[in-house]
Amino acid sequence: MKFVKTDLGRGDLNQVSKNVQLFITCIIDTLYPEVGEAVVHVLQKAGVSVDFPTDQTCCGQPAFNAGMRSEARKMAKRTIEVFEDSPGDIVIPSGSCTGMVKHGYQELFAEDPDWLSRANKLSQRTFEFTQYLVDELEVVDLSAFYEGELTYHPSCHLLRDVGIDHQPQTLLENVQGAKFIPLPNREECCGFGGLFSIEHPEISREMLERKIDNLIASGAETLVACDAGCIAHISGGLHRRKIEREVLHIAQLLAND
Amino acid sequence: MVDTFHKYIRNSIADEDLQIALDANAERRLEARENAFASLPDDLSTYRQRAKRIRKDVIDNLDRYLEQFIQKAENNGIEVHLAADAAEAVQYVLNIAQETESHLIAKSKTMVSEEINLNHALGKAGYKVVETDLGEYIIQLREEPPAHIITPAVHLRKEQVDATFEDILGINCNNDISIMTSVARAELRQVFLDADIGISGVNFGVAESGSLCLVTNEGNGRMVTTLPRIHIALMGIERLVPTMSDLATMLELLPRSATGQKMTVYTTIINSPRKEADLDGPEQRHLVLVDNGRRKMRSSPLAEGLLCIRCGACLNACPIFQEIGGHAFVNEGGEASTYPGPIGSIVSPGLFGQEEFGRFARASTLCGACRDACPVDIDLPKMLLRVRAGGVTLNSKEEKRLVPIHVSLGLKFYTWLATNAQRFSNGLKLAGNLSRIVSPNSDWLWLPGFTGWGTSKDLPRPSEKPFRTRWVEGHIKDRLPVVPENRRLKVESQDHEDLPPTQNEQDLIHRFGQELTTLSGEFEVCTLDELSDRIIEQLQKLEIKTILSWDETQLPAGLVNDLRAQGIGVITVFDPEIKAGLSGADAVIADTGTLVLSLEKGKPQFVSLIPEFHFAVIKAQDIVENISQIITSDKLKQASMTTFISGPSRTADIEMTLTIGVHGPRMVHVFCLLE
Repeated sequence: MKFVKTDLGRGDLNQVSKNVQLFITCIIDTLYPEVGEAVVHVLQKAGVSVDFPTDQTCCGQPAFNAGMRSEARKMAKRTIEVFEDSPGDIVIPSGSCTGMVKHGYQELFAEDPDWLSRANKLSQRTFEFTQYLVDELEVVDLSAFYEGELTYHPSCHLLRDVGIDHQPQTLLENVQGAKFIPLPNREECCGFGGLFSIEHPEISREMLERKIDNLIASGAETLVACDAGCIAHISGGLHRRKIEREVLHIAQLLAND
Repeated sequence: MVDTFHKYIRNSIADEDLQIALDANAERRLEARENAFASLPDDLSTYRQRAKRIRKDVIDNLDRYLEQFIQKAENNGIEVHLAADAAEAVQYVLNIAQETESHLIAKSKTMVSEEINLNHALGKAGYKVVETDLGEYIIQLREEPPAHIITPAVHLRKEQVDATFEDILGINCNNDISIMTSVARAELRQVFLDADIGISGVNFGVAESGSLCLVTNEGNGRMVTTLPRIHIALMGIERLVPTMSDLATMLELLPRSATGQKMTVYTTIINSPRKEADLDGPEQRHLVLVDNGRRKMRSSPLAEGLLCIRCGACLNACPIFQEIGGHAFVNEGGEASTYPGPIGSIVSPGLFGQEEFGRFARASTLCGACRDACPVDIDLPKMLLRVRAGGVTLNSKEEKRLVPIHVSLGLKFYTWLATNAQRFSNGLKLAGNLSRIVSPNSDWLWLPGFTGWGTSKDLPRPSEKPFRTRWVEGHIKDRLPVVPENRRLKVESQDHEDLPPTQNEQDLIHRFGQELTTLSGEFEVCTLDELSDRIIEQLQKLEIKTILSWDETQLPAGLVNDLRAQGIGVITVFDPEIKAGLSGADAVIADTGTLVLSLEKGKPQFVSLIPEFHFAVIKAQDIVENISQIITSDKLKQASMTTFISGPSRTADIEMTLTIGVHGPRMVHVFCLLE
């Protein structure tokens, strides 16, 4: 198990209030590494130093959602082992992966008291990115700046599974220069659902069209979300239909100063 | 190769009429629900937790509650038949029909009857079965299965219903929904009066008293459980609540969740066949308790699905249901499951088989809107995930899973990659490099349709330098962490709402009147001296000279004499031609504009059921605020039946358009007597 710390200069560590472990999530790792960079910068702006345990891979959600629980358990156990090794809080820039660690693991290990206990211990110090900023660090203003009209799509697992909504909204309200427009029918699912978009592409397409129609109806140029799955799905649909809108992860917005 | 489920899904998506109907349903139902929950005396989450506890207690102790329930019901004179499966249930009904030499059967809506395919068996055996719920009546004419758990005709537009009435009944309704409703009323009237057997469902069985509770709106449920000489009730064994107080909790949640109503127009509590002193009610009541897989499901990982109270809220909240509707939930042979939507995706495999119906659970994004909507707080996404992992045989080595082969192989490969950091890292880099080859000039990958993803969108190109590579190579810019100026969130303290002031009589009168008027009922306050004149005033407006009435001893002293003295004919025996009925009420509930009428000597149910116009006399001092204040009364457990009436009969079965006046009275006019 190796940690690779960015070189901060020892003397400045006295200033640092906290140290967190970043669970980057597979989608951001491969499709949106720049979002990962933004996450690190935002956390540093907020006064924490960031570790990235390089042995991390995947929380196991895709396999769990597919019904392949033994495969999911392999990835979950690994994830628990990687992150329990060090005491720092775990920050995840994804609602669905946070939901997996905090709730999915309880279901996966329901009949294994040892692993269940380890999962629960880990879950207590696991947070979604905006939740960590607002609820734990009590930071709502990252001195971010963005000129334009923004709207926000609450991803379903973030909203309902983990129960986070006012935190991203508060952070967005404090972005200087931005005009915030509410998204019509905001709580409607975008139709990604991970494997659902592959197993039921027809229904997924209809739901995506609805979400895009609502985005267009809002008049906003930029859609902000906290889950890279929704972002890939919605931006992929916009690109295919040649509709020009910006779709950003909230970290990218907050890193912009 | 596309399976039948996908074929039906595609057909649903392409069906423009269906799409319009489903959108309208989702929009209106959600709005109605939100408004209705605002009126709950306590906050919603308190209610839901209580409701979940009640239902969980029942499922956990099912045998004990069932035993208690059956014993009480049998003591009250209800004949109870235990059916292990659909075939047994059907046989019981056939036996009763045969033994009672019946011919015509009037049915009100019951999903259990669909489950056991009862109509088909009755038809084959030569009985005439007529569906009397408006939505069910329509689909019976069209020979279709129901498209929703509570609104069977949700998939139809009014033009389609109009065409059906024209084609099958030969009646032109001019595409007018209120005309269609009147036609249904006229056609079915004689069926109610002539039927030998009435078949109903049961929304809740109350274990402590053996009572059957039905919630309905149109009046057909009352008709079939009151007029025919034989009543057969069909009930799933899991549909119990322990006590009358528990029933009150359910009654406050079920109508609100299902249709946004505080109470359905009629809530009926049935204890027994007619008693000697009763003027109406069936001679025999039978209860067929159906297992049909429920016990098996109860000892499976899907057991939480048995908490369901069949409100349909999850269907109305589900974005997938909004796209595909109920008829798309089919097995490989194209037969629709009785139960579609989110709850259907759990109980269909749970009751009827994983192999046949497990596939439904994969048609979900697990967004959780269903769980939010569920009044008994069932964790539907968790159950759906269990169905995906094998359903009833979770964790078993022989679990049959319906994981498509390409998904299964893909994820096995992915797991192999993800169980080793180096492999994973290499895999990501490889994906990035390969994608650069495929799409050298763009940040996007175009994927063909068969990949699923590519049907409607492009894929952002995997990066050749994934995040982990950038971190290790130190590309992520150093930035000194700054201890920020803490701008603390102002947490607004939530004021708990003060307890409402004790309602005095004036408030209650006013509240009752308001609620009743909202339900399209009519209300006026008067003294006893003024009463007969006020009643005659209304009768004159309607040009009615004869009324059906409770016995004079059950009404304010002297009222019947006064009416007769002024030339009104007052009849106390059954006569379906009389257009107005006059009753009192045993209790009155302000919150929901409800009159409570028990069947007892001199107080027949037909007075408030058969005539078009129902006049009721109540005393101001009899008004209570909320159902919980009267639900534990002995009368509710002892009278052969009691009906809670909240306004005139209504339906919204055709295109969600409200029509007042279906089978029950189309007007309820209440006179409230002051001291």
